[in-house]
Amino acid sequence: MDPGNDVALDIIITNVVATFRTRCHLNLRTIALEGLNVIYKPEVGKVLMKLRKPKITASIWSSGKIICTGATSEEDAKAGARRLARVLQKLGFKVRFSAFKVVNVLAVCSLPFQIHLIQFTKNNRPIASYEPELHPAASYRIKQLRATIQIFSTGSITLTGPDVQTVATAVEQIYPLLFECRKIKH
Amino acid sequence: MHSSANALCKLYLSVIDDVIENVRETFLDEGVEEGVLNELRQLWVSKVMQSKAVEGFRKDTINPSNFVLQLPANYTQTLQKQSASIILPPGQNVQNYTAKAGGAGAVATFSLPPGVTYPVHIPAGVTLQTASGHFYKVNVPVVVTQAPRSNRVFTQPAAQRAPPRPPPPQPAPSQARPTIQQAPAQTSNSEPTPAASSSTASGPQPDGSVAQADQPPPKEPPAPVDETPQAPVPQSVPPPPPVTPQPVPESPGDFTLEGIDFSPHPEGTLKQEQGQLPACEVGEGASNSNSLDTPEKEVKEEAPDGLPVSDGTAFFSLGSQLDEAIKMELLRDFNYSGLEDIVQLDGAGDGSSEEEEVDIGGPVGENDFLGMISAEALHVLEEAGGSDDSSSTSSSDMEKEEVIEELDPLNSGDDVSEQDIPDLFDTENVIVCQYEKIHRSKNRWKFNLRDGVMCYGGKDYVFSRAIGEAEW
Repeated sequence: MDPGNDVALDIIITNVVATFRTRCHLNLRTIALEGLNVIYKPEVGKVLMKLRKPKITASIWSSGKIICTGATSEEDAKAGARRLARVLQKLGFKVRFSAFKVVNVLAVCSLPFQIHLIQFTKNNRPIASYEPELHPAASYRIKQLRATIQIFSTGSITLTGPDVQTVATAVEQIYPLLFECRKIKH
Repeated sequence: MHSSANALCKLYLSVIDDVIENVRETFLDEGVEEGVLNELRQLWVSKVMQSKAVEGFRKDTINPSNFVLQLPANYTQTLQKQSASIILPPGQNVQNYTAKAGGAGAVATFSLPPGVTYPVHIPAGVTLQTASGHFYKVNVPVVVTQAPRSNRVFTQPAAQRAPPRPPPPQPAPSQARPTIQQAPAQTSNSEPTPAASSSTASGPQPDGSVAQADQPPPKEPPAPVDETPQAPVPQSVPPPPPVTPQPVPESPGDFTLEGIDFSPHPEGTLKQEQGQLPACEVGEGASNSNSLDTPEKEVKEEAPDGLPVSDGTAFFSLGSQLDEAIKMELLRDFNYSGLEDIVQLDGAGDGSSEEEEVDIGGPVGENDFLGMISAEALHVLEEAGGSDDSSSTSSSDMEKEEVIEELDPLNSGDDVSEQDIPDLFDTENVIVCQYEKIHRSKNRWKFNLRDGVMCYGGKDYVFSRAIGEAEW
């Protein structure tokens, strides 16, 4: 990494996905009937419950597993999850908030330069893959971090990883690689 | 709006009637007497009216004299009952009514033929509108009962005829009664004279001639009879088209309201009446009004008698002489809203809306989406159900849970919840319907609904199709 590479990059977290368990069986029908802002999907066997604040959509299964999506930060995700559990508790279920885990974080970042994807792919042969006919972005996987980065020629990249910290690290890792392959306009 | 309100009230009434009919047998099998069933119907109707969920039940503000009076038919109900109300959908044909009423002793609403089989009580101050559109104001509570065919009492309703002839408000029905009595005397009809139902005037008039309908009312009133009542008020009120006589099927001795000719069978009466009323319109629309009148007349007759006619005996007494007098008495100020009085039915006045309609817990299929459609309703349910709000109480459907160390007992999360404003609405606006398509994109919803009832702002609206869009 270039030491002078101190660009303030704006990493915007767009989505945080978390799961937790209520440790009790949930009656989906009851939730669907009595809950607020719920969508019942009996064909799939789950209930979607949307919270306004924080803006969260939760998929609730009868087993008690709940997946929370739509949060913009990890704290938000946790608060939303607890709020959701609280709602279920009010509905009458013996809910215990347990096993909360953020499983996925989506972030986008806009690099100040455009990227030469073909060159980038050539430089990072096995790790990066690029099939323009399938998808306009080059995909780069960082195995250790378990993070995936999609690089677009415009310089926008989207990152997904298990947590926010990983995502930040991933950006730092990939920046120099991208920097090398930037397109220089004259 | 007016029409839809009328349609709605017709619909509700037809629902009520259907249910009552279907339940009648069961009731009888159980050994419960019909009076109970009639009472049930009466209560039901009163609750619907009280809930004000349906417009049509109320008087039209536009035309104070025009209202649809709903009458819970009740055999046991006798005169003086304010609860009686007759529904006369404007313009509706008598035929329709009889069809509706057919077989239902409890049918209260009838578009017109008043005499339909059962003592019909018309409370004072009620304005009745015949199918023909003529309005008659009942100043005297009357009970219309059905008399056997042979007997029709024809009391000259001329007086009632019409709002156009606003008579000075007359206070007590009792007053009317005496006058009425006189009339019959004139008609010399102790027996129920065939009610000249046809005469429109007959409407709210108290039946001067109380005729105990022992004899089957002769239905065909000579045209003149019918007309006569009209005569007095021809100018002010176009004689209502004769109520198409629909023979009232129910009662054995039903007077056939054919052409609303309740022809007073005794010629004598006829003559008298004729004398009074120039036979003019009878043919025309008198029938409608007549039918209307007849019951009222009967009622009046009953009043003096003090006893309701037994089933099967319908009598309309029309005292021609009474017309004017009766009319005066009958017609009060049109501002009188008889309906409000009528709504006062005995029994718990919890003012609940039709419960059978607001059913969120309906079939499963609907519920799934009802949950979405009527979020407000669900909210209400939740409020009601979750008010206990105890964190420890568990619903019965909880399965056993293992005790596993949990992170952060949720109680601490108590602060967490208490969230967002219980969603603004605490409304009772509900839609109960079937869905064709419900679509959502992010937070934009589109609804394609059909066959439903919507309770919005306390009023009920019925629809066969509804399309909606909403943002969450």
